[in-house]
Amino acid sequence: MSSLGIKGLILGGAFGALVAASAGGAFAEDVTVSFLTHWPPETVAKLEAAAAAYRKDHPGVAVTVRAVPFGDLLTTIRSSAGQASGPTIAGIYDLWLPELVRDKLVAAAPDTNAAEVKAEWPAGVATAASVGGTVYGYPNEIDVYALNYNKKLFAEAGIDAPPKTWDELVAAAAKLSDKDAGRQGFGMINSWAAGVVHPFASLLASNGGALVVDGKPALDSDAAKETFALYETLVKAGSSEATMGTADANTTGPFLDNFVSGKTGMIIMANWWESALKAGMGDAFADIATAPIPVGPKGDGPHSISYSWLTVVSAAAAPAEQKAAWDFLAWLNGPTSGANGASAMGDILQSMGILPTRKSDVAAFKDRLDTPFLAGYVSVLEEARPFPVVLGGQEFTEALQAQIEAVQFGQASAADAAAAAQADAVSILERAAQ
Amino acid sequence: MTGFGLRRSTIAMLAPSVGPIAVFVLLPLLLTLWLAFQRWSSQTPFSTATFVGLDNFREIFGAGSVGSDFKRALTNTALYSALSIALILPLSVLFGMLIHQARPRGATLLRTILFATYMVPMIAVALVFSKLYSPTEGPLNQVLGLVGIGRQPWLSSPSSALVSLVILNVWQQVGYFTVLAIAGLTQIPDSVYEAAKIDGARGPRLFVSITLPLLKRTLVFCAVIALINAVQVFEPVALITQGGPVGATNVVTYHIRRVGIERAQGGLGSAMAVTLLLALVVAVSAVFAAVRKEKQR
Repeated sequence: MSSLGIKGLILGGAFGALVAASAGGAFAEDVTVSFLTHWPPETVAKLEAAAAAYRKDHPGVAVTVRAVPFGDLLTTIRSSAGQASGPTIAGIYDLWLPELVRDKLVAAAPDTNAAEVKAEWPAGVATAASVGGTVYGYPNEIDVYALNYNKKLFAEAGIDAPPKTWDELVAAAAKLSDKDAGRQGFGMINSWAAGVVHPFASLLASNGGALVVDGKPALDSDAAKETFALYETLVKAGSSEATMGTADANTTGPFLDNFVSGKTGMIIMANWWESALKAGMGDAFADIATAPIPVGPKGDGPHSISYSWLTVVSAAAAPAEQKAAWDFLAWLNGPTSGANGASAMGDILQSMGILPTRKSDVAAFKDRLDTPFLAGYVSVLEEARPFPVVLGGQEFTEALQAQIEAVQFGQASAADAAAAAQADAVSILERAAQ
Repeated sequence: MTGFGLRRSTIAMLAPSVGPIAVFVLLPLLLTLWLAFQRWSSQTPFSTATFVGLDNFREIFGAGSVGSDFKRALTNTALYSALSIALILPLSVLFGMLIHQARPRGATLLRTILFATYMVPMIAVALVFSKLYSPTEGPLNQVLGLVGIGRQPWLSSPSSALVSLVILNVWQQVGYFTVLAIAGLTQIPDSVYEAAKIDGARGPRLFVSITLPLLKRTLVFCAVIALINAVQVFEPVALITQGGPVGATNVVTYHIRRVGIERAQGGLGSAMAVTLLLALVVAVSAVFAAVRKEKQR
């Protein structure tokens, strides 16, 4: 063999080895999927444990978790979109989905994942995870509102049962209030857009109204005006003290503190607060009960609004990351990742008192959902009205929040607030639709 | 060297320092100015921006929710800045004189403690103050209760929330400005005080006729820096109040973040940023103009 032949053989062998090494390296190459959430540290730890379990069977995929306060979640998603450091997966509120889709920040689910969502989740929940019929993520939680009341304070005030109507609500709130003891009958939250608007929307729905009807705001309807007037009545009667309702960026703060410490008799709040209430109250959590939203004069029954959360995948992530992300989400939300036929996501949600949405999770957690606190929420799920998911929804919510808070703090009358809220909403939704 | 050669060498020598400024300061500034006249979603490429003339400015000063929110934020920022300066300057002079002229025992320790507040990260300050201000559980209200003063709502009321943030700002910044005031005081020769004392000046007279006039340049510098710092307030609002309650603590920087990033309305956000910049330029110019007028008198 000539020296050229030997060199060629060596070079050829080296090249072959390099190609083989490259191919093997590509197969075993790690893909890192980052997961952005607003969950508290103890829940993040559960998600990290699930990610570690997934990695055992998928050694090439590492899932890292990053948490930010709820108030910073949307900003973080928007500001880091398209960047290398941006999250691959993000948990989002369904109200944000239309605009994230419009701005091409989230990827459509691959066909197999989309088919699974449509088959395994209730139709309404799957729709909330879709825009124009295209599925954009895995739904995970659904939240509804109910009246939370302190049974001990009710007994002390001589009230036998939770209020079923607005008149009963006003009367009970007056009985529970004790200015000298620094106690309010009914707590209204402020400084947190969804926290302010959702209870208002639930009372409005229980008075036969809606925030948006056929794509147009309906905040000047009689039902809406009466809802603003209910707030005004409670504030003027001294049954609700606005300064006791402030929330901070983590959706806790004085509003939670006052209910937990027995300074507030009743609130309207979502099921996911169970973990916060338990943590804050300890054994006294047994004093808390749930009841349906009180019905207004025009209402046909109690109706909470409902909203859901979903996990989406960044459209800017590399194809390999997107593929790994959808695979992880399918596993996380699938019936084999948790205990007793539940998904790992279902386990995580249940640890916070959140209602899961996958049909198999609802079946797996049947007993858990039957506790006195959560049963009150499960019972209103059937009659819940979805919060309107429209373009400009976040700005619409913030503008309505401002008007509701103006009534809470006595800065505007109910009639003026309703008129201003309607004018703002019309202009915001029109602009967003352009 | 010819004129052309001199020009070239001047450019070559200035380029390393001026170049980065042009790229990282002037370019974004010009881009913001351009975007203020466009309708643009901050999640889309600049090529999608469409020229809308003065529409963004009409909207942020209009009667709609965008206009009322922005005007409220502008007013809040002005109030926050004015109150901060009105408290920081006298306090820093007072502390400065206490440390420099009275020279109490432990003056160095006092100066260190005062300056330490400036070095504490805002996240820690925000966390601590949000608990201090808690209406029911907060130590501040408990202390007030001990001396017979009723509970204050602090951050929970629209009438006191902004002032509560001003107090937080003053607490954090006064140490820094005290150090500046001490630096100014050391520049005043003792001989001037001695001469004034020979002429019979004492106590307040010395302060009004000697200390204050000779400290004026330091105070103007402090006022401008305090103004710029105050106008840029963001962290305590984002960390504690989220602009509430009822928009009482919604300042312009936080509002720009909400509009320009959260709602992706890049054109409106840029118009707000340009307005804030112009307001700051006018305010700082007014301070210098007032000083010049005073000098001419």
